Amino acid sequence: MITITLEVNDVSRRVQVEPRRLLADVLREQFGLSGVHIGCAQGACGCCTVHVEGTPRLSCLTFAVQCDGKAIKTIESVGGSKAEHMLQTAFRTEHGLQCGYCTPGFIMTLMPFVEQMTGERRMPDEAEIREAMSGNICRCTGYHGIVAAVRKAIADSLEDTERP
Amino acid sequence: MKPTAFEYHRPDTLERALSLLAQFGDDGRPIAGGQSLVPMMNLRLARPLHLVDINGLALCDIDQQDNVVRIGALVRHETHLRDPLIARHFPALVEGVRAIGHPTIRRNGTLGGSLAHCDPTAELPLLCMLHDGAIVVASSNGERRIAATDFFEGAYMTALEAGEMIVAAELPVPGGAHAGAFEEMAERKGDFAIAAAGVVLGHENGRITGAKVACSGAAQAPMRARPVEQALNGADLASPGAAAVIAGFLETMDPPGDHAASAPYRRALIGELIDRAMTKACRRALEAS
Ligand SMILES: Cc1cc2nc3c(=O)[nH]c(=O)nc-3n(C[C@H](O)[C@H](O)[C@H](O)COP(=O)(O)OP(=O)(O)OC[C@H]3O[C@@H](n4cnc5c(N)ncnc54)[C@H](O)[C@@H]3O)c2cc1C
Repeated sequence: MITITLEVNDVSRRVQVEPRRLLADVLREQFGLSGVHIGCAQGACGCCTVHVEGTPRLSCLTFAVQCDGKAIKTIESVGGSKAEHMLQTAFRTEHGLQCGYCTPGFIMTLMPFVEQMTGERRMPDEAEIREAMSGNICRCTGYHGIVAAVRKAIADSLEDTERP
Repeated sequence: MKPTAFEYHRPDTLERALSLLAQFGDDGRPIAGGQSLVPMMNLRLARPLHLVDINGLALCDIDQQDNVVRIGALVRHETHLRDPLIARHFPALVEGVRAIGHPTIRRNGTLGGSLAHCDPTAELPLLCMLHDGAIVVASSNGERRIAATDFFEGAYMTALEAGEMIVAAELPVPGGAHAGAFEEMAERKGDFAIAAAGVVLGHENGRITGAKVACSGAAQAPMRARPVEQALNGADLASPGAAAVIAGFLETMDPPGDHAASAPYRRALIGELIDRAMTKACRRALEAS
């Protein structure tokens, strides 16, 4: 067992972990963050995406010990208890989710993309949006609604940041 | 709990990392981005007893010394896409790296990890071979340079020995005007390719002065297409006309057939990808001159 400190969703906590424990399992079991979903545990589905020091990373391909002293954000930190982040709202109105299993991964992967596009003040084309979400697999809703949700979130935040 | 138990080490200097690797020999393994190693550990295809986390080492730079660009082992795939030295000297590399996996994989995976993992159709081994690269390898006994053509020995097999790790790749800077292109075919974009091809052309006054052609998918490791290179030297950029030589080169191959592609399909595909990359590189050369 090794003692490490993780800053998860702005709260620092010391936990004891075996080196072989995956970050995904530690977040779910020791931090109770069940929004971190595990799909394939091989990097292929994107379900378990979290942010480590602000960068999207697959928590099933990361050992918790590697994150000692680092800041981690999970879906639980996004949009408050009513899930009101622009991207979450857009997923709801554009039918971007159905069973919801893949949704936390999609949101964590796509948030920096939406922010980047808003920063550059441009609407990406369809191919760019599909490339941005290509590491995430959805097996029930399909991708059209998700592409529409990304477009809406970017349009909304462009409009929002235009207001004086 | 998926992987088997191991001890975790996080050295903060190269010397310390090398001494740990020397001490553990075959029981130890570096971990960089973890994008290939951790899936294998989760499937228990890899069961290292010691993991040496090299992410704290200063191996993240891309710089030029004389006529060589040195790319540190910890340079993330994505960083290649934004680097001005790479953009200027190795456009085929930029195009190839764009085809690796997905954004999250490209943000975390490293050059050294890809070269050491040595998937038969991974882009970076092919691109190092295409650019006449050398792999710089270190151990507690010192450093050695291995030509990319000798480094990749087969599927998941390299010239690395126990206790050694990759510290950088070195690519010679092309002299004069040059153009490059990369093409691949994967079942879905971002998947490992079925086959791939890269072309670099030096050119002057509308003629090819030196051609480099490499492909993957034909064998367990990428290879240079020397007969095609020879046929292209001196050819007209507007009509390089290497069809017969490419066909002859394909005849010398004995590609594997599997669920993804039969051997004849793979052979035809490699020919098509070489042709497309060559045509694109010629067009780019003409547009630039
Ligand atoms: C869904 C998915 C899709 C992918 N698609 C592609 C693709 O299309 N093309 C492609 O090329 N790759 C692809 N990859 C693999 C990805 O590029 C990896 O990042 C890369 O192969 C390994 O780099 P890494 O830094 O993650 O290495 P790690 O996983 O950390 O290590 C891989 C191996 O290299 C060894 N190693 C690491 N660094 C060094 C070093 N400096 N010296 C010696 N040994 C070292 C490790 O011990 C291990 O054996 C994909 C991965 C995933 C999960």
